Amino acid sequence: MAWSRKSAMFASLAIALYLLGLVLRNQQLVTVAVVLLSFLTWAAFMSNHADVSSSGRRVEDADSDEGIQLNSIVALRKISSARIFEDGEIEVTLRLQNRSNLSKIIEVRDRVPEVMRIKKGANYVLMELGPQRETTISYTIETPLRGFYTIGPVCVRVQDAFGLFHNEREINLYDDFLVFPKMEDIKDALIKSRVPKIFTGAVNIRNPGEGSNFYNLREYIPGDPMKKVNWAATARSGGKMMVNEYERDAVSDIILIIDSRGVSETGPVSRNSLVYSTRAAASLSQYFLSRRDSVGLVVYSDEIVSVDRDTGKKQLYVLLTKLAGAMAKGNTPLKVVTNRIMPHINRGSPIIILSPLEDDPTIVDAVRDLRARNFDVTVLSPSSLEFEFDARRLDRTGYEVLKTERDILMSELRGLGAFVMDWEPDMMLNTALAGARGF
Amino acid sequence: MADDVDVEGASDTAHLYEGKKVRSSAPSRRKAAGRIKSSTEIPKDAIPEIHVPSFIESFFGGPVVSKDKFLPPDRMVSSLQAGSAASLIVLSFLTFMITPVSGTAWFAASNALGLGVAAGLFHLMLIAIGLIGGVYGTFQRDRRAMLISYVALILVTIRFAGSTVEFRLDVVPESEIIQKFILILYAVFLVMYIELSSGVIRFSMLDTSIRMNEVYVMGVNKITRKYHMSLAIAPAIAGAVALMTLLINLIIPAIVGIFDDVSALRLKESVELTSVYGVALGTVIVFVVIAAMFAVNLPLRVQQMRERNA
Repeated sequence: MAWSRKSAMFASLAIALYLLGLVLRNQQLVTVAVVLLSFLTWAAFMSNHADVSSSGRRVEDADSDEGIQLNSIVALRKISSARIFEDGEIEVTLRLQNRSNLSKIIEVRDRVPEVMRIKKGANYVLMELGPQRETTISYTIETPLRGFYTIGPVCVRVQDAFGLFHNEREINLYDDFLVFPKMEDIKDALIKSRVPKIFTGAVNIRNPGEGSNFYNLREYIPGDPMKKVNWAATARSGGKMMVNEYERDAVSDIILIIDSRGVSETGPVSRNSLVYSTRAAASLSQYFLSRRDSVGLVVYSDEIVSVDRDTGKKQLYVLLTKLAGAMAKGNTPLKVVTNRIMPHINRGSPIIILSPLEDDPTIVDAVRDLRARNFDVTVLSPSSLEFEFDARRLDRTGYEVLKTERDILMSELRGLGAFVMDWEPDMMLNTALAGARGF
Repeated sequence: MADDVDVEGASDTAHLYEGKKVRSSAPSRRKAAGRIKSSTEIPKDAIPEIHVPSFIESFFGGPVVSKDKFLPPDRMVSSLQAGSAASLIVLSFLTFMITPVSGTAWFAASNALGLGVAAGLFHLMLIAIGLIGGVYGTFQRDRRAMLISYVALILVTIRFAGSTVEFRLDVVPESEIIQKFILILYAVFLVMYIELSSGVIRFSMLDTSIRMNEVYVMGVNKITRKYHMSLAIAPAIAGAVALMTLLINLIIPAIVGIFDDVSALRLKESVELTSVYGVALGTVIVFVVIAAMFAVNLPLRVQQMRERNA
């Protein structure tokens, strides 16, 4: 049983008056003190401090673990989805059962992560729960930021009518959910491999082969299927049979490198380089995987986490999970990352680096090495200068000077043959990509 | 601009740069910002606002008077405000009735200065501050005014230390039991006033939270009914316990009188039982019984019994 500030003050006043009354041999002071003490004692007696024995289970476990049923208040929670994208909504349903034979006035607070916003309903309820009755609380939370989150525990509190004493218990009921980075619909990333793989895909690569787009005409070679014969061209060529050739469609290995160092979180929580990078990486992954490319991911912070290239929806889920868990920490240089991954990727594969390009003296060297090995390097750099300037954490002069230095670095990278884009906060990913590729 | 590479965690990656002078890319933005800006002061908005609690706040575990803002009062809060004001008026009248200015510190001080009227004025002013501050605090829901009211009224209570039972108004009968009863009534109204005025704040907070959709209340009527019932029962119980404690000089002789009339008469006339020590003895007896109830965890057992029988 916990004391509130009010009860502590009541008790202090009562004891002070009582002692003063005894010292001064004054009956009146003692009388007032006795009334205060009696009031406190009655409130303590009535605070039902023993009846919040409670337990928690998930809805799916409801049929098992019968031992817990002995407790009087039981909470069961159900969430609408365990995986959601940023700015999505999760509906939470909390069932509370009073298994005792007495009605109870309880305060219930279902603890939600601090970054989440309650959009509908309330996670804090004061209620009178009748004997052997159950009730359901529903609320909707909005998920503004990617990450791994947990809802719970459920805090149940019983207090006396005057709020003098309370007893609080936490029901250890937890539900985990994952918030994936928001994805933007990309129409064309303008990125393809110079060294296609043997499998056909959705990208034409300006080489003749199996595909759907017309490439050129050539003379018929025995073995060519008759459906490829261009009869109009044959008639014009004076007897030579001409066949259509098509552009080869192919798949590429795409490597996404995300800078998740401590510096990448510079700026406000919801508007910083890492947030933009993860959203861009998610959008790009979806786009490339939808055109049957293999996509690999490298996230570097204080360690290097990589996801091997693969295709398909399962790969998208794996990539999104890694992106959701990317934490800004450490300061691993880009060169260490490129040195480690270069032996494992095909030459000519497109590499997309998402980095604020800050506090890393090895960036130029790393990009030079990649370009020297004929990798198609695209650098999308969310400008944290803009984030900080918008948040008024940087004055105009400092901003201009730093912007100039950033521009110089980008020019240098462009000089090495990389496609570089200074991605400003309000720019759509599509626009940034088109800008990077010189369109 | 060429700098030597100085990378955090360089021990892992040093082999990559051995013997090389790596060309620098953009220098640390923070480092540059520190050099370039006209002032090296940290921008004010870059420092998070942290409230360092004062000694008083630390002692009380938070601000003594918080500055919450409330929405206009609903019916429940309005009725509590009316109840609080009514109990305050009764309390002020009782205070006026049972606390004569004689025997107070300010009475002694004013007499020493030769300003006998000043003591009476000061005494009345204290009661008026308690009343006006309390009414203002209750209706404006201003905790500072409430606190001033509590302090003023408790300060007047300390006047009791100045003498034995003595009333300002002559209409009050001399009977010991009635005097004690009025004294208990005063204490009960003091408790009621403190509880109701703090209840105004508590329910205003709750009401504001409900209307701001921060909290949802199921079965409001049952909850408020329970509060109203407690408001009626708790002070009555407290008053009864206090009366029992005060009348110990009559209760003990009555019990002893069952066995021995002479001893009962002696006890009834004993100075110890009729003095403050009798009250102290009564308090000890009553609270020993209550402590024993808690020691055997009686609330839990009562609860269990009610659950079984429900």
